Amino acid sequence: MNTVRHHATLFYYDGPQVFEGRDAIGGHYVGLLVDSGASANRYLLAGVAPERLREFRLGSLDLRALLMSNPDSPWFLANGDADLAQPLKLESQSSPWADCPYLPDAGFVLHDAPASSASLQEARARNNLVLELAVEPPEAATEHRIRARTLAGLLTHTQTLLKHAYGAALRELSIDTRKSLDRTDAHLMDVIIPAAPGSFRVVLEAAKGPDMLGQNELARALTIVDELFASTSSPSDTVTRVKNRRGHLAAAYVRLLKFLAVNRSGLRYSWAEPSFAVERHHALADKETQPIIDALSGIANLGSESLQLTGELDKVDRQNGSWRLLTADGAEAGKTKENGPSLEGLKIGSSYRFTCEEDIQEHESSGREVRTLYLTAHEPL
Amino acid sequence: MSFREPLPEGCPPADAPILASEVMVYRLVRTLPPTEEDFRSQRAENPEKYFSNECLARGLSVHALRRDSEMATKLPNLKGRQPCAVRLSPASGHLKQTGKPSHHTWWPLASFDILGSISEVAA
Repeated sequence: MNTVRHHATLFYYDGPQVFEGRDAIGGHYVGLLVDSGASANRYLLAGVAPERLREFRLGSLDLRALLMSNPDSPWFLANGDADLAQPLKLESQSSPWADCPYLPDAGFVLHDAPASSASLQEARARNNLVLELAVEPPEAATEHRIRARTLAGLLTHTQTLLKHAYGAALRELSIDTRKSLDRTDAHLMDVIIPAAPGSFRVVLEAAKGPDMLGQNELARALTIVDELFASTSSPSDTVTRVKNRRGHLAAAYVRLLKFLAVNRSGLRYSWAEPSFAVERHHALADKETQPIIDALSGIANLGSESLQLTGELDKVDRQNGSWRLLTADGAEAGKTKENGPSLEGLKIGSSYRFTCEEDIQEHESSGREVRTLYLTAHEPL
Repeated sequence: MSFREPLPEGCPPADAPILASEVMVYRLVRTLPPTEEDFRSQRAENPEKYFSNECLARGLSVHALRRDSEMATKLPNLKGRQPCAVRLSPASGHLKQTGKPSHHTWWPLASFDILGSISEVAA
């Protein structure tokens, strides 16, 4: 018996009402809730062409027309749970579409206004969060061209910024809310259009799809990134915003700006979720970059974060000022700074609480982040 | 603070504030005038069902725009329902935008008189 798995919710009202499904070989289906029973729900499903489904997601095709786009195709019913967590076993129906008692009325569309921008259109078409980046390095001035290294750097810096922005967004949530989220890979993006026409443009989408309500975790990160780019024409305002985001996010932001300055490029970006009425966008002009970097360079410890580790001391080298602590999350190793606390008197095998400053530097050639822990205080447990 | 029905820990979420001012929302109801039955959550209607998100299952879907509620009535499971306007105030509970911009989840307070806050009923 053919089964279909829930892929994405397209319309939610007291539970998913319209959704996309996929069968075992990747076939596309659209499903509708037709009856909400006491123990199980009843769903109507039909196979649909990907292009027609895309039109429906864009709001240019109504649901009834989508379902009946091939009037000779079969339709199915299936029992399923309220959240569509389990695959739906399709029960093929022999009557023609015209006799189907569960058809929606004509006129049900997902969006009643066309997308006002390319990124919003792409977000709707893909039913996912989409981010569009545009840079203008000198080599892109006369043709659609970018140095491979510049493109790699742009993507690496952007992904790193998003990772730390997502971390900052999560810290603002309560522990219970954090626990309830599926955070695995939620900060990752995939390149979907590597070179769109215009000044050099790259389009990315969230590597992970939206939740049951159609919202993507990555939106938390981009909302924070928007804060950092909200007033780039005013270095002092930007400094205030970046200082409010001290730590790895601030460091990643400064690295991105330095990268843009070196490559003599401004940055424009826009992003959208399928449900947005309009995209969100910000820009940083080439000439605005250096004054912000200069203003931020005078702020001490902008990129450091403080953290506490508890565990058993596994290794200590007093001469080199290095140490290793076995914590519940694994071994953590670090150093002491010149004026840092002495390691004299610490005993291997004893338990301590180490307060550390976590510093992240970027490896120049690979762009990888290198994390170093500096001990600032310790106490026995 | 007591809610209309018991909520799990951490629900409503921290980013679902208690309303700061009055706002009009639209709920799809089965009968006009509406009854208490029209404001039962998925959990209250289906005590035996499994929901992966218990907090969401104990909230009520509402729309900020009437036209979105009207659009939903074209769907087979919501056919025959009608939008009715409810005037929410700080005393009505917590509200969070979830999903499409107009769609919100409402966690009503036990003390809030829902039926007394029906502002208008669509013809």
